[in-house]
Amino acid sequence: MSLRNKAAIVGIGETPTDRLGSKPGEPRKSTAAYLAWAMRLAFEDAGLSLKDFQGQGLGVTIPTAYPQPFWPEEVAEILGITPGFLLGGATGGAGAVSLLGGMAAAIGSGVIDLALVIGAAAPFSEHWGGGLQPADMRDWEIPYGTMGPNSKIAMVMRRYMHEYGATLDHFGKIAVTGRYHASLNPLAYLRKPITMEDYKGSRLVADPVRLLDCVIPANGGRAYILASPERAKTLRHKPVYLKGFGERSNPSYGPRAGSDALVIGVKDAGRVAMEMAGVEHREIDFLQLYDDYIVVVYLQIEDLGFCAKGDVRYFERTDFTFKGQLPIQTSGGMINCGQPSTAGGMLHVIEAVRQLRGEGGGRQVPGAKNGLVTGLGVLPYGKNLGCCSAAILGGEA
Amino acid sequence: MAEGEIRKPLPAITPEAKPFWDAAAEQKLVMQRCRDCNAWVWTPRPACNECGGEKIEWTPMSGKGEVYSFTVIRQIAGRAASPAFQNDIPYVVAWVDLEEGPRMITNVIGCAPDDVKIGMKVAVVFERAAKDLWLPKFRPAA
Repeated sequence: MSLRNKAAIVGIGETPTDRLGSKPGEPRKSTAAYLAWAMRLAFEDAGLSLKDFQGQGLGVTIPTAYPQPFWPEEVAEILGITPGFLLGGATGGAGAVSLLGGMAAAIGSGVIDLALVIGAAAPFSEHWGGGLQPADMRDWEIPYGTMGPNSKIAMVMRRYMHEYGATLDHFGKIAVTGRYHASLNPLAYLRKPITMEDYKGSRLVADPVRLLDCVIPANGGRAYILASPERAKTLRHKPVYLKGFGERSNPSYGPRAGSDALVIGVKDAGRVAMEMAGVEHREIDFLQLYDDYIVVVYLQIEDLGFCAKGDVRYFERTDFTFKGQLPIQTSGGMINCGQPSTAGGMLHVIEAVRQLRGEGGGRQVPGAKNGLVTGLGVLPYGKNLGCCSAAILGGEA
Repeated sequence: MAEGEIRKPLPAITPEAKPFWDAAAEQKLVMQRCRDCNAWVWTPRPACNECGGEKIEWTPMSGKGEVYSFTVIRQIAGRAASPAFQNDIPYVVAWVDLEEGPRMITNVIGCAPDDVKIGMKVAVVFERAAKDLWLPKFRPAA
């Protein structure tokens, strides 16, 4: 079954992000507050209200530090919704894009004709404890003193630089481009432009990973609303259609006991999404790539097939700004807009919708018709990212 | 261990992994191998994750490998991090590819962190982590 044009995004909601609670005595906001706020913004954007969502779809990203297994139902209770179809994001940071596929499947098969997908987290304001770890991490990583994802991405980045000769200048270009876009986005958290020297001079977090390679955790909430094409045509915005969707979880390139750690599963998720959409690379006008780290953005551009693996010259000659040959991260990405845990990835779906509606303001990609969005989650033992989702969104059915 | 010292996190000895830890206590590195498809199976598990076969056998490893990649830990940071490693800083966390194929996360010890290089040949060495628990780590090969 194809999901092409089976559902369209008709509303978006993005709260500003903050780090309230990171200093003693600061006022705090709960996750519930960001959820309610994001929902209200999405309702205002779509011209819908709570009553429209009773018996309809509700999709909820599940924050990493909160292992309460009924979190999606708890969110329904917080918001006052009685869903007829409830999905939790099972793919961590990829949840925003995975839920797009899951809800489009439910809409396309007629189970529902409207869905709210929402996520929020307040890691600085609310202390939920450490969450649980996968057994592999508990038994085979942490006893060696690994320091979470930073350690693993550091090993990916070092190996990549060793194997393909990429330098800090190649990665820095992505960082500088992202911040430039953030400087044009009123909702970005980090908006002061940076230079290549700022990037190279930023503090080493886990050699060779620097501070400006890393996503910035934040409090915030994000939401989007999906509708059947028939329903979408009755609403106030030009619908943004889901053209293609692909997902690969637990990908492995080579033997599972020792796979190529430099390949991200968007290689296959992206290919599947593009085939479903029936689009070629040259028809994709921008990329919004899940960005927990700069090197992860870089690898995805290769693995999605926009250049060959290790083609560092491509990164030297390509303009990745909104005016360039391959615009990426036009919002500034999570690295500059903030990552409220797994709700972070919602940013990329929301920004794609803005661009395809022509609401990109000072960072609008001229004539954008199709965009590619990715979501990623979890760093499993000995491998690159474990949950990989991709979607093609388009302004025309 | 000094009073008040924070203990380092230790692995849970699961039924699947117990033979690994029993061998490690005898200074031997073993891994599972599938008798049906010949694949190495790592980390320990009840069946082959390449072909689904249940005939998997604990197999002695050479203990030789090379550094696929590494990072030098210079600060305690992150949600999953234990402050118990503070006294070890700076230390090396590495991906070591064993000559038979499987990749382990481990520490490279026995040399200065700045001397560790990608492609460096290493050999297993066992370090005591608790009374009957020995962690396989790697040192530069002679």
